[in-house]
This record gives sequence, structure tokens and C-alpha cells, in this order.
Amino acid sequence: MKMFDEKKIEELKKKEFEWMDRTKNDPGAEKVLLGGSGIPLKRIYTPSDIADMDYERDINFPGVAPYTRGIYPTMYRGKLWTIRQFSGFNTPEETNKRFKYEYESGQTGFSIAFDSVTESGIDSDDPRAKDDVGAGGVHVDYLGDMEAMFADLPIDRVTTSVTISPWPAIPITATYFNMAKDRGIPLSELDGTTQNDFLLFTCCCHLIDQVPPHNLIRFCVDLVEWCAQNVPKWHPVSFASYNYRENGITAYQELGFLFANEIAYIEEELKRDRLKIDDFAPVFSYHLSSHNDFFEEIAKFRAARRMQYKLMKERYGAKNPKAYLLRFHVQTAGSTLVYHQPLNNAVRVAYQALAAAIGGVQSMHATSYDEPVCLPTDQSVLLSIRTQQILQNDMNIPAVADPLGGSYYVEWLTNEIEERAWEYLQKIEDRGGLVNCVESGWVHREFFRAMNDHLREIKSGEKKIVGENCFRMDYEPYEIPIFHPNPEDTLDIQIKKIERLRKERDNKKVERLLDELKVVTERYENVVPTVMKTIKAGATIGEVCDVWRDVYGIWKIPLPV
Amino acid sequence: MGEEQKIRVLMAIPGFDGHWRGAATVTAALRDAGMEVVFVGQQQPDAIAEAAIEEDVNVVGLSLYAAGHLRLVNKVINALAERGGKDKLVIVGGTIPQPDIPKLKALGVGEVFPAGSPVEEIVDYVKKCNR
Repeated sequence: MKMFDEKKIEELKKKEFEWMDRTKNDPGAEKVLLGGSGIPLKRIYTPSDIADMDYERDINFPGVAPYTRGIYPTMYRGKLWTIRQFSGFNTPEETNKRFKYEYESGQTGFSIAFDSVTESGIDSDDPRAKDDVGAGGVHVDYLGDMEAMFADLPIDRVTTSVTISPWPAIPITATYFNMAKDRGIPLSELDGTTQNDFLLFTCCCHLIDQVPPHNLIRFCVDLVEWCAQNVPKWHPVSFASYNYRENGITAYQELGFLFANEIAYIEEELKRDRLKIDDFAPVFSYHLSSHNDFFEEIAKFRAARRMQYKLMKERYGAKNPKAYLLRFHVQTAGSTLVYHQPLNNAVRVAYQALAAAIGGVQSMHATSYDEPVCLPTDQSVLLSIRTQQILQNDMNIPAVADPLGGSYYVEWLTNEIEERAWEYLQKIEDRGGLVNCVESGWVHREFFRAMNDHLREIKSGEKKIVGENCFRMDYEPYEIPIFHPNPEDTLDIQIKKIERLRKERDNKKVERLLDELKVVTERYENVVPTVMKTIKAGATIGEVCDVWRDVYGIWKIPLPV
Repeated sequence: MGEEQKIRVLMAIPGFDGHWRGAATVTAALRDAGMEVVFVGQQQPDAIAEAAIEEDVNVVGLSLYAAGHLRLVNKVINALAERGGKDKLVIVGGTIPQPDIPKLKALGVGEVFPAGSPVEEIVDYVKKCNR
């Protein structure tokens, strides 16, 4: 159904031209203004900007293709987005206390922040790790650590995001799955997410001793493949364009990379000829950023849903409607937060969270105002939870789906973001797809350029950031509490646990299983069943990852610096 | 230091911290300002000190975003001292709470530039100290 009459649009275009001309000397009329992603903006948008739109083809109803207005027919009336703060520090036992505090504050999902040692697949007794165990995230060495982290927490009712890098993702997720089984929760019923994102941990967050990208993608997809068949409610990947965006790229580049990454997983699975698109695409999930340009972000969420539908339907011929749905978590953009006058960040976060709520989000982390300064305190985490609860309760957001649908500006911007995102995706495909672009260093160069462009825009004042390049103060007006996680004891505690583990477990059995894992890895069979057994037998995360380092070697990151 | 001699800087991320945006952009800014910058990425404190001696740098820049700054910076400074590199200017950037800034300076850090500090301030400071 065409939305506008062609003749009337022609008349309107004339009138708009006359109006532009008549008001061209009015204050501000001559200004060339750009959106957050550098897209030139007109003064006003009218039906002439979306004249070709067809209601059913382009936006339609929530829960109906192309899903622009939302993935579920009743959206928040049926289910509010999950409040899921990303947290973790020191030992699993201490993180358990923070999780309980969050749960008692009304949080409805968990997300584990691991330390970078765990993310690297390295145990706490590795001498290189001694300064980093438990710093900036929780450390996990083995199954017992996951059990301690979730002691007394109802993992059958509250979902968890196991927010971990791709190859340690397999043994770490295996600790979670083994814990669930031990608690009598069948894997067929277990709901949750493993981040397992290829691009994030090759190009955004650098890990020590990682296997090369073309081997890494195999592990990413092994987890997807096994979960799709054995843990059907689990999302074994969450394509984390949030993290790509944190490098300073634009909203449409964020989507270009998001779909390039998804395509890399799909192509790896399809080339194995074991599963069809409809068997595994329904378990995908997504993790987007909510950045500073309010309307642009809302348009981005809408464009992303429509692109996912087109990609699955038109390119891959998916027939299972679950494959069409872009179910996404949002994190408000940490990189937009400012060190100075830190309470201002609470306001930024609230607006970014509002954009996500209007954008039809399924799960959210509202970043804490103190994150540029320190790890979040109990108070700042509470404020992040309350920020979301205020949106859900006080502000009447949940009543109506996609409230900005039909706005000339937002519809035009949705089209614009989509078009630019497809173009950017094409750029990546022209270079042989994402895995090649990562290996060649092209992605790092794109990110590096974006980081430096951002700095230039701040320096020139082209982009204004309150407290950073305008409205600065020569003193700090707000005093905020600082969280000192003091992870020093974590190392000793974790090392003692590993020592005890090595005494108590059947070491012969662990060795045999690690040998079996090596064989399975070399044969290119799915490694997850062997890892499940190996973790159950008491192997550490590092022992499992060492098998893969032995087989594949270590990647030298192609840094552009 | 003479006009013709370029200021030499080592830029490193101590430990396992995966954040590279801060260290990378400061590296670019210092190079734009005419300095020689050796970017070594994530390294253990001893390796940073060794590289600083090996490369004969005037300045060691450390970027830390994972709450380990007091511990790790202290180790780098000690490792430098053990190798006769006490005279090198150490500067620190990243997620550094205000109350920790005087503590870092007491350890021997020249200046601390928390995340979001204008890069020109860093450039000016390094130039001033190497005049």
C-alpha cells in the first residue's frame, strides 16, 4: 500500500521548494548540519522525503515482516525488555554478592563481565596473569567457579548472558551448562546467551595468545551448531555491534559490520553442509549500541530489523520466521560518557536508554554514570536499574509499539541508515568478507581512522561534548563515591582453588579427555561435546584453550599503530 | 634536548587489558606532533621496561582501563628503576579515579591523563618535560 498520492507529492515538493526559498535568509537557515554519523540533515522532513514508501512492504505491523516496527505483535505489553546489567569483579564469590544485590533491586537478567585473563583462556596460575586476575571482571578457572557465581540464584527463571570471547566461550559455556544439568534443569529448557562474537575479540578488545581469525570462526560456529541442536532456547552468539561502535565508527558502519559478522557465521556453517539456515539462524541474537544521536539511533534499530529480515529471506531463503527476527540487547554507549562532571553521564544514559526503549529493545544494560572513572559502585548500578524501571513504569513507554513510526524524519532516516549500511556491508564483501578483512588488518585500519576522526571532531569543536570540549569547569563540582574492587586477594584464592582441584580430580581422565579434544579439533569435528565432558571432569578453562593454541598457534594482531 | 633530536616515546598497555583506543589515538597524536612513538600494545611490566631501555625512549606512556593501574604502574616504575631507567618520564592514561591521581604521582608518574583528556594537553606536557 503506497502511503502518498504521486500528484500530491509533486505539489508538495513545489510548495516545499517555495518555502525553503522564502525562508532562506531566516536565522540558521544557511547552516549545514550533520547527524551523529555525518549524514547531512535538512531543516524539516515531509511526505516528499518518503514518497516511495509502501506501508506494508516497508514498515507494516509489529511482529509482521519486515518487522521494522518491532519483532513481536504486542511488544512491551506482552513482555518488557529484560533489565540486564553487565557486571563482575574479583572472585566468583564476590560477584555472586553483586548479582544478588542486583536481583533484589529488581534486575531481571544477569550478564557476566569476565576479567581479560578469562577472556584470553588463561588460568589464574599462569605467571603472566598475576596482575590481572579479577581486575575489571570476574575470574573463572573451572566449573566450581561458575557454581559459586550463581549460588542461590534461580537460573531456571532468570536468564544469563555469558559475555565471553569466542573460544573460551566453549569451556565457559560448558561450565554453565554443566551447572544447569547438575541443578536438574534440562538443557532443552535452558534460556540465556553466550556472547561468542568473532569481530569483538579480534578487533575491538585485544586478547593475549589468541588463535588466528580463520580458526577462531570455527570455534564460534561450533558453539552455534551444537546449541542449535541441543540447547534450542539458548542464544549461542550475540553479535555485539555495540563493541564495534565503541571504536568511533558510525551508526551505519555498525550495522554493516553487524551483518558482515553474521554472514561470516552463516557461511562457515553452510559450508559444513550439516545444518540448514532454518536450523541455526533462529538462535542468533544481537547486541547493539545506543549512542548520542537520539533519532538516528532509533532509526538504526528499525533499519537493523528490516535488514535482518531481508538478509534472511532474500539472500538465504530462510523460511522459519524465527530466523527473520533481530532480537537485540542494547548497551548505552560507554564511550560517550565523560570523565569530568560525572553525574552528567546519568542524563546521557537515560536519553540513550529512552532511544533503545522507543527502538523496540528486548534487553538492556544502562551504563553506569561512573564508568569513565571506576568500576560501578552499588549505588551507580542501582541508578542504572532504576533508570530502566522508570522508563518501564513511570513514563508510559510500553503502551504503544514503535511510537515514532510514521514520523517523516525517522522513516527517512531509517531508509538512509539502511541504504548506507548495505553499501558498507558491500565494501566488506568486496574485500572477501569479514574474516579476510580481520586477518588483513583492514578492520583495524577502519577503526583506527574512526578513532582519530572522532578526536579531530572534538578538537575542532565540530562535535560538542558537554564537560569535554564545552562547559568545562576548572574544578570538579560533583563528588562521587569511588569503587575500589581490590582484586589482590583474588589471585591467592583462585590459585588455591586450582591446587585443590588438581588434587581432587581424576587427572588421568582429564588428560585423556584433553588428548581426545586435540584429536576432535584436528578432525574438524564439533568440539563442544568433548569440552562438555572435559569440563565436567574438572579441566580448567586454560587447559582446554591450550589444546587449541597447540593445534592452531597464536595470531599476531595486525595493528595499524 | 636539541631541536633536531626527536622525542622518543614508548606506548604500552600493561598486562592483559584489551582496550586499545586510548593508547592508539595518543600514539597518533604524538606522532603528528613530530615524536617517534614505539607502540608495543599489551605487555608485562618487565617487558615494557626492557623495551623502554632497548628503544632508548625519553617517555613511557601507559594506558590502563581495567582498575589495575596502581599495581601495574608501580611494577613498571620499579622494573624501569632496576634497569637504570629511573630518569624516563612516565605518563598514565585511562580509567583513573581522581583520588588515585596523587597516588600515581607519588609512585613517580609525571602526569595522569584520564580518559577523554584533550590530546593536545598530552602533547604539550610531553614537549614541556623534554625541553
